[in-house]
Amino acid sequence: MIKAIYYKEWIKTRWYCLLALLLSSGFAGYAMMRVARVCSLKGADHLWVVMIQRDAIFVDMLQFVPLFLGLAFAVVQFAPEMHHKSFKLTLHLPIRASKALASMLVFGGAVLLGIFALSLLIMWAYLHTVLAPELWRHIILSTLPWYLAGVAAYLLTSWIALEPTWKRRVLNGVVAVLLLRIYFLAPAPEAYNGFLPLLALVTLMYSLLSMLSLSNFRDGRQD
Amino acid sequence: MIKVSKIFFACLVAVLLVWQIPSLYNTFVAESVSTPFTLYSSVAGRFATLEHDEDKKMQYRDASGREYTEEQFDSILPTFYYRQLITDGRFPDTICGRAVTPRDIQLSNFNMRISPLDLNKPRLGIQQMLESMSGRVDLELPDDVFRITESGLEFVKMSANTIDEAKSASFTRMMQGKGFRFPAYRLSGNPTDRKEYDEGYVMLDAERKLFHVKQTVGRPYVRAIALPEGMIPEHLFITEFPSRKWLCFISDTQGAFWVVERDSYAVRLTGVPRFNPEMESMLIIGNMFDWTVRINRAEEESYYALSAQDYSLVDSLVYSTPSQTLPGLRFTSTKDKFVKPRFVK
Repeated sequence: MIKAIYYKEWIKTRWYCLLALLLSSGFAGYAMMRVARVCSLKGADHLWVVMIQRDAIFVDMLQFVPLFLGLAFAVVQFAPEMHHKSFKLTLHLPIRASKALASMLVFGGAVLLGIFALSLLIMWAYLHTVLAPELWRHIILSTLPWYLAGVAAYLLTSWIALEPTWKRRVLNGVVAVLLLRIYFLAPAPEAYNGFLPLLALVTLMYSLLSMLSLSNFRDGRQD
Repeated sequence: MIKVSKIFFACLVAVLLVWQIPSLYNTFVAESVSTPFTLYSSVAGRFATLEHDEDKKMQYRDASGREYTEEQFDSILPTFYYRQLITDGRFPDTICGRAVTPRDIQLSNFNMRISPLDLNKPRLGIQQMLESMSGRVDLELPDDVFRITESGLEFVKMSANTIDEAKSASFTRMMQGKGFRFPAYRLSGNPTDRKEYDEGYVMLDAERKLFHVKQTVGRPYVRAIALPEGMIPEHLFITEFPSRKWLCFISDTQGAFWVVERDSYAVRLTGVPRFNPEMESMLIIGNMFDWTVRINRAEEESYYALSAQDYSLVDSLVYSTPSQTLPGLRFTSTKDKFVKPRFVK
């Protein structure tokens, strides 16, 4: 049954998955092309010096890309079902409702993580050829909170999209915005290093919030 | 599952409230305490202050309460306002019984800022070592960087991203020969070409012994610096001031503040009573007669006047700066560049 749910989610979101993959990889690739251009014009030395002396990481343009991809993924996955009131059909499947929803979230989370991992791989593939390990690790580690924010945006938007009442949706939205702010407080590259494991754990726990929306939905709450 | 979800949601809301309510209060309600601009005057023999009164007029005073005009204030701080004194044709021949020229003042004046933000931050682990005896007037940035490993100093050519084995071996051998135990505990340098001269790095080795390491004509210069008995250095701050009189400042594990003289490598204790650079910021405004040392602490701003000759404490002044902020959860801090949850009182 879970496989069937994964298949259903795939059918629902496959075009968006392709678009998200292209956008995420495209932005990562474009950022690397810009780095390569600097390299060819001014030499690799210039990159190293700018990184060491000015704390630059050259990939700032990627900062909000995962956030928007995660947010849009949840909208694409859940908003049509909620709008057409077909989400209740999923709950009538011969499987626990919470398990069905968890499977949907696992699908979305896994796809997003795969897309983000490919972007990181694209960056690593180029950066490790021109930069010392300390420097490319510096860039990759600095981007991790942004990708984590993408997963958080997906789970929090799912929570909001699945909520049946508008009053609660607004409240959830305020909470979600404040929670997402935590991922963008960095005063310097690699500022999140020590906090990342805890932040990753809390991010995964945001999936619990969708269970509250599910409960409200099943209770038939309406505005 | 629902119960766990509800508890988790309640925890999240509680965290957000403990974070956001104090943050909003501190932004819109709490007022910061301002203190007057303060410098020690060797001419007046006490601290001199400059602040706006209630009518936004400048008030010039010294610590005894005596008031000055703007011109008189320039004269009691001649090393700070020397350019104004030159413009007015009032620059004195002697200050505190010592014959001086504007050039002497210019060379001996220095400012040094030490902030916890510079210490408590993510570090790259690689840095540049300039050529300190290039024979040219202007310094040039090198084409390599170095890292300190468990077993030595490793230079990496930036353009090829490859290790310069010969140079690495040369520096490692020299450092080990001088008694340096890898890896380094701390190092401090100022690898920029926007300075007058280069002193390379001061380093603490794995046993916290102090070394001066620089590159002269492509070769390593390594000097072990003897530390006073019982002193355990914690943080190093290279100076490279125009006067070339000092090599670096050191803070030790007991909170004492030391000066290393450049030519003799003598390590001298200053009269600063206590300083924790990981939590407190320091500003030193120095001249040929005295140093005014300002230390910003949690609830006070302390000023210490040191003699520029023997670094002894001449005078001190403390302004109380009680915190008006609400305690609460913060993710960032003015003391470090890390993001992590912390409860701030």
